[in-house]
Formats: sequence, structure tokens, C-alpha cells
Amino acid sequence: MLLVGGAFPLLRGSGPLRAPTKPLRVLSPAEYGIFAAAAARLVPGDDAPAGWPTADQVDCAGKLDEILAGIHPKAAAEFRQLLRTFENGMTGLLSTGAPQTFTAASPEQQVRRLESWRHSRFALMRSGYQAMKRLAHATYYASPSTFALVGYPGPPTIAPTSPAPG
Amino acid sequence: MSSPTLTPLPSLAAAGTIRDGRTEPNLAMECDYVVVGSGAGGSMAASVLAESGARVVVVEEGGHFTRRDFNMQESWAYPALYQDGGNRATDDLSILILQGRGVGGGTTVNWTSSFRIPDATVDLWTRKHGLLGVDNATLAPHYDAIEKRLSIHPGDPNDVNANNRKLFEGATRLGWKPELIQRAVKNCARLGYCGMGCPIDAKQSALVTYIPDALAAGATVLTRLRARLVETDRGRARAVVCDVLDDEGHHPTGRRFVVHGRKGVVLAGGAINTPTLLSRTKLSNHPLGRRTFLHPTIPLLAFFDEPIEAFYGAPQSVACRHFANRGDRVGYFFETAPVHPLLAAVAFPGFGATHRQTTARLAHAQATIALLIDGHHDDVGGRVTAERDGRIHIDYPLHPSLIEAGIDAIKNMARVQLAAGAKEISTLHEDPITIRSEADLAQIDQAAFGPNQHTLFSAHQMGGCAMGEDPETSVVNSQGRHHQLENLWIVDGSIFPTSLGVNPQVAIYAHARRIATKIAAQA
Repeated sequence: MLLVGGAFPLLRGSGPLRAPTKPLRVLSPAEYGIFAAAAARLVPGDDAPAGWPTADQVDCAGKLDEILAGIHPKAAAEFRQLLRTFENGMTGLLSTGAPQTFTAASPEQQVRRLESWRHSRFALMRSGYQAMKRLAHATYYASPSTFALVGYPGPPTIAPTSPAPG
Repeated sequence: MSSPTLTPLPSLAAAGTIRDGRTEPNLAMECDYVVVGSGAGGSMAASVLAESGARVVVVEEGGHFTRRDFNMQESWAYPALYQDGGNRATDDLSILILQGRGVGGGTTVNWTSSFRIPDATVDLWTRKHGLLGVDNATLAPHYDAIEKRLSIHPGDPNDVNANNRKLFEGATRLGWKPELIQRAVKNCARLGYCGMGCPIDAKQSALVTYIPDALAAGATVLTRLRARLVETDRGRARAVVCDVLDDEGHHPTGRRFVVHGRKGVVLAGGAINTPTLLSRTKLSNHPLGRRTFLHPTIPLLAFFDEPIEAFYGAPQSVACRHFANRGDRVGYFFETAPVHPLLAAVAFPGFGATHRQTTARLAHAQATIALLIDGHHDDVGGRVTAERDGRIHIDYPLHPSLIEAGIDAIKNMARVQLAAGAKEISTLHEDPITIRSEADLAQIDQAAFGPNQHTLFSAHQMGGCAMGEDPETSVVNSQGRHHQLENLWIVDGSIFPTSLGVNPQVAIYAHARRIATKIAAQA
């Protein structure tokens, strides 16, 4: 299914894409926008209580770009391909019956597509979901702006009288 | 490969230092022994060989970070201190692999737990894998020396935080005899950040013990050099060819740095990197990269009314080995894991609101983990391979016997947590099962446990270059020497024929010391 989806014109009919806030190192602007849209569903979204930052506020997609710059170029290329495939309208048709690009889909349809990949009987699609899910959560919860929201006070302050090197 | 200008043997002034390999004036160097990797195995081998009078150069692909760098932030620690920036995983992403990178290797980021190899494991290696002259009696003097140098001391009840106390209390109530873990620490402040580098040097990692010992004896450590292949000549290892990494320390620049070892080469890049390094060296080595073991690790979350704050305190101080020996079924043991936001959020299943509701309870979460003891039965572990461009592949299919053990382990972890007073337990299946009583445990049998249907980790990588006397089934002999290259030795966790059944750092140190002592004696 990944190959089928990836073979179609990739971004035709994309919805409005979030623009990067700084120059990108690996992702294209379109790929940045696709991950930003996925991250918006994966991390606490609009339904979260007040105070939870959005994926855009944390810039999950920008942090992803930094991560991809540090891994093997082939692995980064595969992740970019995953994003384009996930966005593809044909992929949407085959996975949820909705022939729309992910970014043009409604929030409810976006959730359905993520759920369909998460529980897919195809191991490759579950892997694809996990890759996006883990990177969204890693970039989001690394942010100190989320610490207090999960009850984490953050690292302690090291007193100047700390033991000397042993 | 033609050799560029050689830097002479390091002068006394230049020796005994850690230097950035990218800034060396020449692209070649000569010494007696090249050591690849600076973790438990590499630091030990370097110190033993340097103290014997040999000229030693250690090449390390990661950076040199010290306590001043360790800021206790996950956002810095994983990219800086872990392989693949913390993103290493099996090819299908079903097992996340936490593996250290940088001076000190895994010891810089481990949770300090220190065990000798269980007798049952060593016996299995002798009986089934043909090891000769390797038993715990042989290793005893090495254990003694290591435990003294690393300040490993009997488990301290004062080290036990609430996260570990729940495991201790629950297992005690069930009669499963938990134990306090020996830790390699000195003046520990129990901050809770061992996995991000100790900011007060209380952890007695290689970074503050065997690396300084090696430097004091004249060894040189060169960072940001990734070993690419071992040059050989008529059955001998001649040199290690390294890629000089870029400014960020991620990618090869295209420049090569060659370290010639007049007497030999010692590999200690860890159980993923060493097999891939050797695979780029043209040798007929059928077992190379096979039988890679990971101690596949299953977390289980319990929620308590009172705060657990599993992000603070000594991360790991209690173990329970009640199920380590299950006869003809795969065994497992219980420990705990610290619960910091990034790693926890990656592990928690689901997304959106349901995921948020779990993370919002982080401070009340207790995390018990079960580590499956792979390789002791009919399961054959995984396989590590590499492409020509250096990309590593880790294929680790979950054998049915591991799945059986994993399901059993989840049920027994839940029993421990219930016995400890947990009101609610949540499995890390993609569709989590909520457990509030023994009656709920039957649901676990029905839940999907295939790839990416349950969170799995590995923090212990072993095998891939197994010791043994038969070249058809092993890569090095019982003395750690390569079957085909008479002056190449391996001293990391890759030489273990199976997983250990305990945390591996002391075992790696001990075998490295045993092997390096013999190399030095024969030189």
C-alpha cells in the first residue's frame, strides 16, 4: 500500500500547509507542513485544557528537521517518503475510504487515518504510524513548556557544594 | 589502501589526552594497539594495555562530554549521548534500542546496575556453546578488581525511591524475593538522571575511572572518528580506517584517518557496531552479526494515588529474578525504569487526548519492566548487517517463545503492582488493557503482541560476534581472539553467546579485563 500510495502525484490537493519558521535542512516545505499537520493530531490538540501548547507552538516539525539532519541520509529519505505517502489522497482512499490528502482532511478524518495506520494489519503501516507518533511525542515532550503540565518539575538545581569528581 | 603520512608514535607530551580527531594535523597515526570504542570494554582494554607499557590509541565516534555538559535535559542527552541520536531501533521499529555513544560509551548513560554473570548463564556457554576455560571462578579476580575500582557496593536501602519500592514491596508480598541492586556510585546524590550523564560524577562510569586510568598510563583517545573497516594483511589486522565525522559529529566528511596498530587491534564498539565494522572487512565469517540479543524489555505502568515521581531518585535499585529460570520456557527478570517525559511519552501508546491523559499522570506512574532473557532456549535472536555506506540494519523477529514469555511477564508484573497497592495498571499494548484486579489479567492473553502492537525497548545489546571454539558458530575464540585474524580481539558485549540475564556492564568489563590481561602477557 505504501508503494501504491507513493506512486501517485504526491501533494495534489493538499490543504493549507504550515510554513516553516526557519530554514529547513532536510525536509521540503511541503513535508514540513505534512508533519506539522500530523503532529497537531498526535500531540495534545485543540481539545486539551488551557495551557497545553500546540504542536506548532513547540515547532515539532522544525525539531523533526533537526533530528533528520543527524541520522543516516537513507533513513531520513525514507521518512520523507513516508510523509509524502501518508499525505497522498490515494492512501487516504485505501486506508479510510476518504480520497483526500491528509492535510486537506477534516480533523476527524485525520484522526481516522492515523487510527487506521496504527491498527493496520500491514506491519509496514504500523511501523509508519509509530515513526510519526514517536517523533511527534519526542519533539513535543522534550519541550520544557510541557513539563509542568505532566507534573514534572524539571531537573533539580545542582548545589555548588556537590561532590567533587571521584 | 595507500597510507598517508604517519604521525610517529605519540610523544609523551601528546599521549595521555583526549583529543578531537577532526583537528589532528595528520590523517594517520601509529601505535601498538588500536582500540575501537571507549565504553566498558574499550576503556578497560586501553587501561590494561597502556599500563603494561603498550602505546594505545582509542578511537571513538562520539564526543567527549563531562559533568559540566550533563544538563539533565532529555532534549540534549539523547542526541548527544546515544547512538543515532536516541533513534536507534530494529528495522521494523518494533524495538527501540537505547545505546550509548561517546567517551565512556554505555557506561556514561547506564543506570549503574552492577551484576556478575549468573552461574546458569556461564554454565550454558560452556555446555552448549563450547567455551573453554571461562567460568565465574576464572572471572572472580577480575570481578573483584572491577568492583573495587567502580565502588560497587551492596545494595543500599537508602537508594530505593518510590518507583523501586513498589517493586520491592509487591514482590516481597508475593514471596518472589526481590533484591537490592549493587550500584557503581560514589557519593551519589540520587538525582535520577544517570541516563543523561551524571552531572556530579557520582556514577563511576568509564568516563571517570578506566578512561582516566588509560590516559594516566599514556593512552590517547581520539573522538569523532568512526571506525569504517579493519585493514588486514596475511591473517593479521594491520590498521583501523576511520571516517572523520563532520562538525556536528553525525556524518562522514569523506576524509579518512588511519590508525596503524603494530601489535594488534581491539574492537569494543558494542554489539551492534562491532559486527557491522567486521562485516566491511573481507572475511568469511558466517556467524558474524547473527545471534544478536537485546533483552527485549516490556514496561508496565501502574498508577498510584500518591506521587511516585519516578523521574527522581536512583533510577534502578531493585530487581526480582524469581522468573529468570522457567525451565524449558524463556525466563525474564523485573527491574524498574525512570519515567522522564520524553521517553515516557514515546513509550505510552496512542495519541491525542488519550495519550495526553496518560502523560498528565506522569508523577503518579510507577514503571516496572520485564527483561526477556533471550538466546537461552530455541530463540535465535536477531541479525545485524550493514550496507556499504555504513547504514546499519537490525532485524529482530520476535520468536514465539519470547512472545509467550512476554505475555507471562506482563501478568506477573501486574501481580506485583497489585500487591504493591496499585489501583490501576495500564499495559502498553496499542490498545491498552486496564487492570484493576487479578480477574482482568485474562485479557492479556487475547491482546495482539506482534510488531508495533506493544512497546518494547532494549538497553542491553549482546551477541553477534560470539565466543566459541568452532569457527562455524563463533567469531572469536574463548580468549576473545578472532578465528582468522591472529592479532584482533573483541572485548565488548558482542562476544556473549547469549544474553546474560542481568545488566551487562560488569560482565563486559570482566571479559575485557580477562582478555586484555592475556594480550598484554603475550605481547
